[in-house]
Amino acid sequence: MVPVLEVDDLHMHFFTRDGVVKAVDGVSFTLEARKTLGVVGESGSGKSVTALSVMRLIPEPPGKVVSGDIRFKGESILAMNERDQRKLRGNRIAMIFQDPMTSLNPVYRIGKQIAEPLRLHKGLSKKEAWVAAAELLDRVGIPEAEKRAKDYPHEFSGGMRQRAMIAMALACGPDVLIADEPTTALDVTIQAQILELMQEIQARTESAIIMITHDLGVVADMADHVLVMYAGKAVEFGTADEVFYNPLHPYTWGLLESLPRHDVDEKGQLCPISGQPPSLINLPEGCAFQPRCQYAREACQRRLPGLVEIERGHLSACLFSGDKQFLAESPRCAYGRAQE
Amino acid sequence: MANETPSQDTAKMPIDTGGVAPELPIEEAAGKGRTLWADAWRRLRRNKLALVAMGWIIFVALIAITADLWAPKLLGDPTFIDTTTVAQRSLKPPSTAHVFGTDKLGRDILCRIIYGARISLLVAVLAVAMMVILGLLIGAVAGYYGGWWDAVLMRLADIFYAFPYVLFAIVLLALMGPGVLNVCITIGILGWPSIARVFRASVLSVKENEYVDAARALGASTWRVMFRHVGPNAIAPMIVYATMGVGAAILTEAALSFLGMGVPLGQPSWGGMLNEVRSYMVVAPWMMAFPGLAILTTVLAFVLLGDGLRDAFDVRLKE
Repeated sequence: MVPVLEVDDLHMHFFTRDGVVKAVDGVSFTLEARKTLGVVGESGSGKSVTALSVMRLIPEPPGKVVSGDIRFKGESILAMNERDQRKLRGNRIAMIFQDPMTSLNPVYRIGKQIAEPLRLHKGLSKKEAWVAAAELLDRVGIPEAEKRAKDYPHEFSGGMRQRAMIAMALACGPDVLIADEPTTALDVTIQAQILELMQEIQARTESAIIMITHDLGVVADMADHVLVMYAGKAVEFGTADEVFYNPLHPYTWGLLESLPRHDVDEKGQLCPISGQPPSLINLPEGCAFQPRCQYAREACQRRLPGLVEIERGHLSACLFSGDKQFLAESPRCAYGRAQE
Repeated sequence: MANETPSQDTAKMPIDTGGVAPELPIEEAAGKGRTLWADAWRRLRRNKLALVAMGWIIFVALIAITADLWAPKLLGDPTFIDTTTVAQRSLKPPSTAHVFGTDKLGRDILCRIIYGARISLLVAVLAVAMMVILGLLIGAVAGYYGGWWDAVLMRLADIFYAFPYVLFAIVLLALMGPGVLNVCITIGILGWPSIARVFRASVLSVKENEYVDAARALGASTWRVMFRHVGPNAIAPMIVYATMGVGAAILTEAALSFLGMGVPLGQPSWGGMLNEVRSYMVVAPWMMAFPGLAILTTVLAFVLLGDGLRDAFDVRLKE
């Protein structure tokens, strides 16, 4: 079976006055129908740029796909003309944005905005689209959907707006749903509701989901596969279980360690990864994570590690991920080490 | 944030509403499904000066539109010259028969001002329409596409700015010949750069909004995004500019007509009337005063209304 979405060694660079920003520098993943891929990493690690590249929403220039390919059901999106790309956008591949407060157009009624993709792609009449929009609103759990469809965005709460965004993204029954930090701007109880809604919808439709987040909790909840990104590169890829219970890359260790834990009674300090993510213009030589890596060795400064399959379906971009002795050093308990 | 706190305080104080129309309670105002336009209208209604200005504009417009129905009966023909009686009727000061006096050819000045309003308003509105259409298109393309388009179009606007305005207008009119439509075209051609600049800035800030990306993510085409999503959100400041532009266009038309390059002298226009008065300024000051007053009050009204609209559309001034 052909996966719905394949990203193959994607390099998206931005050509700015200060130099070339390698925002995405070698990211690959495949996504199958009904599966969820979690993409995690710090701010600036290239998560959103990857998503926007798939949508072809990066302005060119300054952005440019230097190499690599993005394929939808085996067909290269990059090779398509603008018209064909538009036919995919919002129709076969839909996106939910981070901030529901700003991603709805303030001058149009909610119903009209949800109706827009239906009018664009399905050729529905105004009336048909409006009826369908009200149904969609109802499906994402807005009470009195028919009445609320006439509301303007500012009359919706944050959670309701994100539901409306989801309704809009789902309107055409997309094969791939890209959610770029869909819960970051919402408070915790609403976050849970939105995630639940997305899972529910996935169970009902065939959609594959790309969930971009820096919340590992969300990933653990939803994802089948996890892609860990650092400085524009994929550093670890595997099933959620493997990445969470048997992480291979020191960066993933760091991310997991920096989580607050409620299963530890002692009040210890959190264990953040020290230092700053590197500037994407001047990447350090060798491994990009090496300057911040506690486990870095001399070789890390010289050799750029590629993403290598260490175990079946579990890839890591660390020179020593295959080294049993090295892996034995991996932290078991964040708080234990913090006290040293 | 900083200027919100004090304004909220004043809104709660009952003293502030004394004398002014009773304010809506904040909750009620927020709850009533308001759009930007409804909101702006609500705020405009509280601005007395702007309302008076709007009233004056509507009054002048109504008079101009309906003039044919009643003016000839009451005031006579604005262009008709009775050659046999000119001598007795010319240059008469205001009286009950001729409220604003008569001009050198014995025509009623009030009547000519009323018919002049037609020309002046028509020219101003048409000119602004032309200016706005040109300005919006060029500003939208420059702001939305950016890059090369932006550089070329904005430099073109700079070139228009660098030309001496009146001189340029005279040259254009000399090339096209006088006439109402040509005056409109001239003012439109000369006026677009300011509209384009403001709209470009507005588009630039609006297009950074996430809903613009969201619209593109839905598969909307570039033009659709530009006109359906960016445009309506960027248009509010243009209402203000267009309103003030009408005032400015009335002035320009008057200036051109005064210079004899605008509306042909046969047709009454405010600027043209001022032109005719040049040699009688001392003997018949009313000939100058009344058309001048008409220009002054109408232009002022447009500027005041523009000011009021600017405040009404400015969300940061929210009470």
